[in-house]
Amino acid sequence: MKKFISLLLLLVVSSPAAAKLNVFACEPEWASLSQELGGDNITVFSATTGLQDPHYIQARPSLIAKARQADLLVCTGAELEIGWLPLLQRKAGNTSIQVGANGYFMATDYVSLSDIPASLDRSQGDVHAAGNPHIQTSPVKIMLVARALTQRLQQLDPDNAVAYQQRWLDFEQRWSTAIDRWQQQAQPLKGMAIVVQHNNWTYLSEWLELNKVAVLEAKAGIPPTIKDLNNVLNTLKVSPAKIVINAAYQPSKATDWLSNKTDITKVTLPFTVGGNEQSKDLFSLFDNTLQRLLSAQ
Amino acid sequence: MNKSCLALLIAASLSSPVFADDISDLKQELSHIRADYETRIQQLEQRLNQAEKSVKANNTAVTKIAQRPATRTKSASNNSFNPAISVVMNGQFSDYRREGDDYELDGFSQHGEGGLATKGFSLGESEMTMSASIDQLLFGQSTFALHDHEGETEVEIEEAFIETLGLDNGVTIRAGRFFSPIGYLNEKHIHAWNFADAPLIYRGLFGNQLSTDGVKLSYVVPSDLFIELGGTVGNGDQYPGSGENSGLGDWLVYARTGGDMGVSHSWQASVSHWQSSPEDRAYSGGHDHGGTGTPDPVLFNGDTEISNISLVYKWAPNGNFRQQNFTLLGELFYLNEDGKLNNSAELATYDGKQYGGFVEGIYQVNPQWRTGLRYDRLGSNLTASDDELLTDADLDFSGYHPQRYSLMLEWLPSEFSRVRAQINHDKSSRDNDDTQLFLQYTVSIGAHGAHSF
Repeated sequence: MKKFISLLLLLVVSSPAAAKLNVFACEPEWASLSQELGGDNITVFSATTGLQDPHYIQARPSLIAKARQADLLVCTGAELEIGWLPLLQRKAGNTSIQVGANGYFMATDYVSLSDIPASLDRSQGDVHAAGNPHIQTSPVKIMLVARALTQRLQQLDPDNAVAYQQRWLDFEQRWSTAIDRWQQQAQPLKGMAIVVQHNNWTYLSEWLELNKVAVLEAKAGIPPTIKDLNNVLNTLKVSPAKIVINAAYQPSKATDWLSNKTDITKVTLPFTVGGNEQSKDLFSLFDNTLQRLLSAQ
Repeated sequence: MNKSCLALLIAASLSSPVFADDISDLKQELSHIRADYETRIQQLEQRLNQAEKSVKANNTAVTKIAQRPATRTKSASNNSFNPAISVVMNGQFSDYRREGDDYELDGFSQHGEGGLATKGFSLGESEMTMSASIDQLLFGQSTFALHDHEGETEVEIEEAFIETLGLDNGVTIRAGRFFSPIGYLNEKHIHAWNFADAPLIYRGLFGNQLSTDGVKLSYVVPSDLFIELGGTVGNGDQYPGSGENSGLGDWLVYARTGGDMGVSHSWQASVSHWQSSPEDRAYSGGHDHGGTGTPDPVLFNGDTEISNISLVYKWAPNGNFRQQNFTLLGELFYLNEDGKLNNSAELATYDGKQYGGFVEGIYQVNPQWRTGLRYDRLGSNLTASDDELLTDADLDFSGYHPQRYSLMLEWLPSEFSRVRAQINHDKSSRDNDDTQLFLQYTVSIGAHGAHSF
């Protein structure tokens, strides 16, 4: 028993004096961004993986335990996590991550959103009142979020403000160089006609000026019926498309159906960090996304 | 590159043996080359500058688009602070041989909504939930249930509580009326359960669900393994408690733990213990003695204790719960009570033990179809110094083990609607095996609710 207590004491004492900032990222893209900007001054936990649908996550005990210890939530917002995040906030007994607190950071608060529905009605499927939340498909949006996140990190951890500033400048430089490179690479994609399975590529197609001609899911979040798919086929007769895109976390049934039925190429994109093996961080995520789009072109 | 090439060229030409004329020629040529080279570099630089500018312009254009102010207009009127409101409606068609008073659960008493729904078409409970942050410290939620009882519509306050948001260190305090944190299913609303009817043990011990009017304190331990400890104190008036108890009548302590195993598996286990000292708790039986026309119910006074253990395991490939998942859930309850039974004519000492549990497995095949199996089993050991009082209380004291098998199939058109078919093979009472059928719809309108694990 004595031994046990002294071991416990040792553990407590030997833990680093300057505690790192605990970041709870709801999605892997924000975990990756936090890591870029926070470096060694923070520890990052990602609540989801690149193969999970962030709309439907269970408020599991393990997530409550992590939220309890978090200093900062970095999430998408715009109701993407509405089915689970509020529960974590309520059950964690943690002031720092409540709505409006400094430790509550919603990425969509710092960019403008597209696809804001003109009317809100559940008969239209799973609509997001605030607009399309899947902003991580555009590196320009990520840049805006990064700037805001840096400020937030500096607020929460003023002792390391200089370090965060340096990391931000470094990231900004690398990221804008990468954006230029991606934009150059993507020149041939301009105006390419695409079909998407779920409406989660809005910002990617805005950025690369792709031309979305159809969505397989007639109602957002509801698996398409055969009738819906036939409607898409009819649309495609009028305005043909080159590729059909689905995200790695989604079952590709509808996409497969379309690519089998027509000569439209199926492209499975990683959607976020960890969506496939090559997408290890934000940089390789876009490298891989572009590579896949270009090779399908 | 060009420069070094040029230098090499010059070096090569200089080191070679040449005549004077040739040298002047060479000099001229060299100055030509130099001039040409310089203009080329200038041109290149210009082109580079232009390219850079256009990329920057492109970038700022995109940034401008991204920073375009949102067109959302904020309402200035007072209704922008409305709470999140959601309504759950359900209706069902049910068929069985025994309903109402004909249905018996041997060894247990039936209380409140603990019986079976009316045969044929019936409207289930309609539930309205409102919730919002109250201020910087508090969150509030209330749920009103409307249901028909003997031809009249009754309104019931299922839950109405306030809860702290602003406390730190993992501590949360809740006050008001709330479902007691005993077991796993008890804290969930009935529409979130996996079957159309309550597990037999919930029906037998609580009349479907245990709630408390009081205060709850909970503490989440700061570790990666989820550990929550807590307790509640209530007024003791909610069944199986009863009476005024001078306002402090039931106590509950609980501990919960849970975590993940890899990315696809998660689990939660809990133990809880509830106790109360009911005053004049009436049994549903109650026979008319002496033809006075007034019922003479049997009353219980004494101490009641209930212990529970529960275990939940969930599997979802890659943790992608929406597509496919399997849930295994089991709970055990043990009730022990000591005290006295009496009616207007008689008095007896009473020792009752009632126990049982259920295990259910739910498999979600794809986002729109789920199916599940459940098995219930109960037991009891009731002794009284006068058996007549047990008979009067409609308590079967033979020690029979009620059992039930249930099978259900659900179609989920979306997150907000559900159609369920369920069939039970019910052996709730010794002599009356029954086959029970339910067809049920449940829908939720309004705010998007969040469901706990």
